[in-house]
Amino acid sequence: MKRWLWQALLLDGVTGAYAAVLLHRIVWFHMVQGMEPPAISPWELVAYALAGMLVAALGFTVRCTLGAWMVDPHRLRPWQRQCALHIGLGLLVLTVWTGWIVTKVAPLELFSAEGLRSAGRLFGALLTPELSILDRALAAMVQTIYIALMATLVGLPPALVLGFLAARNVMRHHVATFAVYGVLRVIINFARSVEPLIWAVIFSVWVGVGPFAGMLAMTVHTIAALAKLYSEQVESVDPGLLEAVEATGAHPVQVVWFGIVPQVVLPFLAFTIYRWDTNVRMATVIGLVGGGGIGTLLMQYQGLAQWHEVGLIVLLIAAVVWVMDYLSARLREMIA
Amino acid sequence: MALFELREVTKVFPNGVVALERVSLRVERGEFLAVIGLSGSGKSTLLRCLNRLVEPSAGQVLFEGADVTHLRGRALRQYRCGIGMIFQHFNLIERRTVLENVLVGSLGRVAVWRSLLGTFPEELVEEALRNLEVVGLAEKAFDRVRMLSGGQKQRVAIARALMQRPHALLADEPVASLDPATAHSVMRYLEEVNQRFGMTVVCSLHFLSLVRRYARRVVALRAGRVVFEGCPDEITDEWFRHIYGEEAQEVEIR
Repeated sequence: MKRWLWQALLLDGVTGAYAAVLLHRIVWFHMVQGMEPPAISPWELVAYALAGMLVAALGFTVRCTLGAWMVDPHRLRPWQRQCALHIGLGLLVLTVWTGWIVTKVAPLELFSAEGLRSAGRLFGALLTPELSILDRALAAMVQTIYIALMATLVGLPPALVLGFLAARNVMRHHVATFAVYGVLRVIINFARSVEPLIWAVIFSVWVGVGPFAGMLAMTVHTIAALAKLYSEQVESVDPGLLEAVEATGAHPVQVVWFGIVPQVVLPFLAFTIYRWDTNVRMATVIGLVGGGGIGTLLMQYQGLAQWHEVGLIVLLIAAVVWVMDYLSARLREMIA
Repeated sequence: MALFELREVTKVFPNGVVALERVSLRVERGEFLAVIGLSGSGKSTLLRCLNRLVEPSAGQVLFEGADVTHLRGRALRQYRCGIGMIFQHFNLIERRTVLENVLVGSLGRVAVWRSLLGTFPEELVEEALRNLEVVGLAEKAFDRVRMLSGGQKQRVAIARALMQRPHALLADEPVASLDPATAHSVMRYLEEVNQRFGMTVVCSLHFLSLVRRYARRVVALRAGRVVFEGCPDEITDEWFRHIYGEEAQEVEIR
């Protein structure tokens, strides 16, 4: 009950301060004054905090706020519940309104005559691709597919090892191995949360712009993503078989080999095929920031505003991605 | 000297559950001992203390008079190797062949690298085939386990346990997921192993009718404590209610 109370006060305080900020800075400055709000002064901070405390106090005494509603929805009177509901609705409207202003949404821009003409020209060019550069585009596409393949193949062995070393049920038996597990988890999650695009930027500084940088970027991401998928699969194996192998007096390595591996071989294969397919798609994007292959070619033509050439490349990418998608789905169906 | 002896064994799991509380028990060489009790009464934990899949929180486990309570590493693996175990859900590698599954029972005696390469010595393969004959499955040796019926799977598991050339066989509710007729056929193989090879069998069971038919001695657990020890015939209605609770009714399986 105590904890609930704190959560309610916190919720009311945060929503109160949030509403005060929006009302003051968006509604007052933008709508009424028609100007960009100035930098926040310390006094304003204090005022926002006070507004939050006011709402929290209101919730605590009159019990007509979101916090009061969260703690005990059934004991509120109808008007109290109504009031809390209106506070929630008001916050939602205010938030969408703020978002509209911050994003500078301007639907009319979509329909300006000049804009429509440019877009029409672009789409027209994309739909009438320039076939004379087909050989160049195909060569770049082949490079992209190989970048993806290399990233998958090079990333596979380390991911396999990490998949077991980052699985709780393999590592929990000993303090030292459990520490390794914890450290690996952190590293893998970090490597995975950094987008491959950012890895590509890092590696293009390291080894120079080109396909190798793109491959390295995707290899890092592949290792992290596959290690995560593999380890989750290892953690979800039936513990019964593990126990049975352990009961024969088998060595821990044998327990993994006979207790876990037979249960994860097919899922691992499916994940790997899926990864290759994802990597081909990703490799086209990586090329946009200098990772080589079809993406780099696309950027070159886009920079020269040669839209017919860009059109051919986009169509080619779409075709290859579709074929890869289909093939990988069929392959995974076959082994399932 | 008893084969196994538990002295005041207590097991508290990390989540605070007390599975066994000061359990003392002797298992004589060559006997067929049944362990009964409700689900959660500690039967599984008791069996796992015997082959040290579980390490007791307090008390002692003796094997042939030697303390095995806190064995670790190689010594623990050697100890486990000498005790076979079968499970309610068989715990076999479904996608591999019967023979490969039986050979898993010999892992404790094979060099690690050899087992990883899958090249088991010829004499072990022959031994595996002989063990499959014991459980009447010689002709299924090269079938995949997932093609077998439940009763056949449990017999494969028995053959796997025999591969360990064990001093004793632990059976954790071996027939709980089988139909009555199949249950009897599996129990008869356990009986045969017990009588023909003189192998000690410790078997947890749900149905008293099976206990009366196969076991010579029975231990009943309730909430982690031993509440009855004696011959199956001595379990009267009164004892039955004491073990299983006032609401319980005996179900007959023939």
